Amino acid sequence: MEQQSLLDLLYIAAFFLGGLGFALGPFIIAFILSPRKTRNIDNRTDQFIECGMVPIGDAWIRYGVVYFLYALMFLAFDVDVLFLFPVATVYNDPAFAGSMRNFVEVVIFVAILSLAIIYAWKKGVFKWDRKVYQHQ
Amino acid sequence: MGSESIPASIVQLAPVEKVLSIGRANSLWPMTFGLACCAIEMMAAGAARFDLARFGAEVFRPSPRQCDVMIVAGTISKKMYPAVKTLYDQMPEPKWVIAMGNCAISGGPFAIEGQYGIIEGADTFLPVDVYVPGCPPRPEALIEGILELEEKVCGFRRWPRVEPR
Repeated sequence: MEQQSLLDLLYIAAFFLGGLGFALGPFIIAFILSPRKTRNIDNRTDQFIECGMVPIGDAWIRYGVVYFLYALMFLAFDVDVLFLFPVATVYNDPAFAGSMRNFVEVVIFVAILSLAIIYAWKKGVFKWDRKVYQHQ
Repeated sequence: MGSESIPASIVQLAPVEKVLSIGRANSLWPMTFGLACCAIEMMAAGAARFDLARFGAEVFRPSPRQCDVMIVAGTISKKMYPAVKTLYDQMPEPKWVIAMGNCAISGGPFAIEGQYGIIEGADTFLPVDVYVPGCPPRPEALIEGILELEEKVCGFRRWPRVEPR
């Protein structure tokens, strides 16, 4: 039994090494057998744009993120609806629907989530403006 | 351009290099890159009727980083000159250049006195390996040029040579 488990471990190790060699081998072979440099006539080998044109400016620039607020608002509505689905299912039950306490609970839940939307509204999220922060 | 040093790999074994050169010769990847009317003939060479795929050179790559062969197909205007140089720089080694058509060889019909718009020949700034004459060359001529390049890469010709009648 002891010998059998040792043999199994050896098998796993062998397969692991085989897999590793298969994954890393091509990288090593390519590194050894391919030329590491390339002939250069204009010193543009490292240029990112591959269409031949000289890039205008840098891609790492700052730009106004207005849309992410909409994404957050979508999340608020989305979670709202997500949690209302089970409520809607359970409301098929007359005993549940008849109870005033259940209704009040649902109203409280929706009201709290709505607060987030009202807050965003007050903050001007629904206005499509470039946000300018004075303190920066 | 005279002699120039071609970057080599770290490990060089003659038999391995021989095998690699055969592989390279039979899978030349040209660049999708046309400058003028010769490019039409180049497209025809790659399409169904002339079918460059028979010789392993049909994989026209859209990125210079994946290319082996730059087929300078057409007139190199002074506007395109920096772009051609950039594309050549971005190709990884090993790389070859085919000058296709009279414009790429010497400026062709535009090489007149007082011209101001074109570069007179790709070999003024690129190490050209194969010249394919014609205005424009027929697709067969381009295929023959690629076969010549294959012969140059691996040292022997895999395909029969057709003698002109």
